Amino acid sequence: MLDDVSGFGGFPFTVARPRRVFTGFRPLEHRGCSQVGRGIPLRQGAFSMTTARFAALASLLTLALLIGVLAGGSAISPGAVLYALLHPRAEGDIATIVWQLRVPRVAIGMVVGASLSVGGALLQGMLRNPLVDPYLTGVSAGAACVIALAILAGVAAPVLPALGFAAGLGTAVLVAALARRGSGIDPTRLILAGISISALFSAIVALAIARANSLDAAQSILAWLAGSMAGHGWTDLRFCIPYLVAGFALALLAVPALDALRIGDLRARAVGLNVDRAQWIILAATSLLAASSVALAGMVGFVGLIVPHVARRIVGSDARRLLPASALLGAALCTVADACARTIVAPSELPIGILLAFIGVPAFLYLYLHSEFAS
Amino acid sequence: MIELRDLTLAVPGRTLVREITATIDAGEFVAVLGPNGAGKTTLLRTMCGIAPVAQGEIVLDGRRLQTLSHAQRARTIAFVTADDAMTGSLRVRDLVAIGRFPYHAWWQWQATERDNAAIEQALDAVHMRDDAQRLFSTLSSGERQRVWIAMGLAQETPVLLLDEPTSHLDVRVAHEILALLRALARRGHTVVCVLHDLNDAATYADRLMLLGCERMLACDRPSQVLVPALIERAYGVAVHRIDTPDGPRVFAASS
Repeated sequence: MLDDVSGFGGFPFTVARPRRVFTGFRPLEHRGCSQVGRGIPLRQGAFSMTTARFAALASLLTLALLIGVLAGGSAISPGAVLYALLHPRAEGDIATIVWQLRVPRVAIGMVVGASLSVGGALLQGMLRNPLVDPYLTGVSAGAACVIALAILAGVAAPVLPALGFAAGLGTAVLVAALARRGSGIDPTRLILAGISISALFSAIVALAIARANSLDAAQSILAWLAGSMAGHGWTDLRFCIPYLVAGFALALLAVPALDALRIGDLRARAVGLNVDRAQWIILAATSLLAASSVALAGMVGFVGLIVPHVARRIVGSDARRLLPASALLGAALCTVADACARTIVAPSELPIGILLAFIGVPAFLYLYLHSEFAS
Repeated sequence: MIELRDLTLAVPGRTLVREITATIDAGEFVAVLGPNGAGKTTLLRTMCGIAPVAQGEIVLDGRRLQTLSHAQRARTIAFVTADDAMTGSLRVRDLVAIGRFPYHAWWQWQATERDNAAIEQALDAVHMRDDAQRLFSTLSSGERQRVWIAMGLAQETPVLLLDEPTSHLDVRVAHEILALLRALARRGHTVVCVLHDLNDAATYADRLMLLGCERMLACDRPSQVLVPALIERAYGVAVHRIDTPDGPRVFAASS
C-alpha cells in the first residue's frame, strides 16, 4: 500500500515503509519458505536454519566447557590439562586437579545454568510473564533462610546442600499450596504468594546475619546468598542427579502443554489441554531444577530470567526449540561466568551470582528497553 | 447434535440462567442473543466443557459431555474466542497449528500430513493463507478474529462455538465472517455463535436463542424471536420491527 503511494510521480514526501526493528535473530520461517510443512512449526526451509542455530549453540557450549576446564587458580598448561582429560586414570597432581576440582566444577556450572534456564523458560511460559524467574516460587528464599539458621546453629558444611535442597522444595510446596485454586493454580496468586513468602524468608535471613555471633558465620551466609560453585564437587552433584533427572523429565513432559499455553489458559483448555495438570507438572519441574541448583551453587541470579529471553530471540517461542536452546545457552553462560569468577581475582574468587548480575543487569535492560519484546 | 437438558448456568454467587432445554441439530446455525451478563459466554464455555455445569446436562450425539476426555472433547467441539491473554510473537500459521493439539499425544511433536492439510484448509477458509507467516501482533482486529476462527477450524470438529466473532469488526468483515459461518453450517457443522447485533443474527442464523431474565426466553426462527414484546422483555428496550425480504429487522424506539 505504502509503495503505491510513493509511486505517484513527483510525490514530494518520502513515505516511510514500516520500519523494521532489528530483532536479533529473527525466526526464519518468515523468509518465504514453502507453506507445505513437515512439523507444526518446523518447516522444511526453517529446519536447516534451526539445525544450524542449534549447532552454533552446541559449539558455544563446547567452547565454554573447554574454557571452564582450562581456566583456574593454579597455572597448568592447556596441553597438560587436555592430556589429563584424555587419560582419566593417570596419576599425579595435575590429574587430581583436573578430575577432582575442575571437571566437577564445570559439570556443576553446566547443570546449574541449564536447570535455571529451563526452569525460567517453563515458569515464564506457564505464567505468560516475562519477568518471572525460577526462584519465584520461593525456592531460593526458603533455602537461604534454612541455611542461614543452620550456619548459625553450627551445622556441618557438607550437610548444607541437602538441607538447602529440602528447604527450597518445601517452600515451593508451601507457595503452591497457597496459590491453589480448585484443582489448578491461579497465576496471580502464585506470584503474590511467591513474593510474600520470599520477603518473609529474606527478612529472617537478614535477621540471622545481623544477629550472627561470629564474623565467620555471617560471611558463610553471605557466600551462600551471593552464589558460588567453590567447594562443591562430585558428592553434591551425585546427591542432586536424581532430582535433576526428574526435573528435566518433567520439563520434557510439559513441552506440548507449554506450546498450547502460549494462546492463554482458556483457549488452551478449549484445544484439549488439561491446564491444571500441566501447571502442576511445570511447577514440580521448576521447583526440582531450582532447588537442585540452589543446593549446588547457592543463589545464582539472573540466569533463569535472562537466558530464556535470549534463547527466544535465537530460536523463537516454540517450546520444542526454546527449552533445549535455553539449556545449552544457560549451561554455556554459567560455565564461562564461573571460569571468570575463578580467574579475574585469582587466587581468590568472585561469587558467580554477583558476576552474573554485572553481566545480567545491562543485558536485561538492553533487551527490555531496546526490543520489540517490550511491547 | 447437541442436547441441553435442564441446564442451569451459574458463576460463583449468582445463577445466570435456569433450566435451558434445547436441541441443536447438525448443520444448524444458532445465534445466542441476550443482554450483557445474561450468561451467553458462560453458556458457550459450559457447552465446550471449560466451565462447570451447575445443574442439568449436555449431551453430544448421545454421550454426556462430562464423560469425554479433554482431547475427545476438543476433537468434537471447538471454542473460538478473542477474549483471552496472548503472549509471545507467534506467527499466524503456528497459532492455527495449535488447533491440532488434541490430535497429538505428548510425545508426538511432529506434524502429520493430516495436520498440515487441516491447517492449510483452515487458513484458506478464512482467506489468511497469504498471511500465514505474519506475526499475530501485526494483524488487524478482523484478521485476528479470522485467525482464531481458523484455529477452531483446524481442530476439525463437528461443532463450532463462537463468542462474539464479529465484535470490533466493520460491516464488511463482519458479514464475511457470518457468511463463512453460514457456509460451514451448510457443510454440516453445528455452529453456535454469540452475537450482539440482532439484525445480523436474523439474517444469517437458522434459529435465535434469546437469553434474559435468568431464563431462555425463546429458541426459534428469527421471525418468531424478533418480536417487540420478547425483545423488550429481554433487553428492557422498546423496538420497532420491519419485515424485509432478508428477514425481520428491529430498531430501538425512542423512549
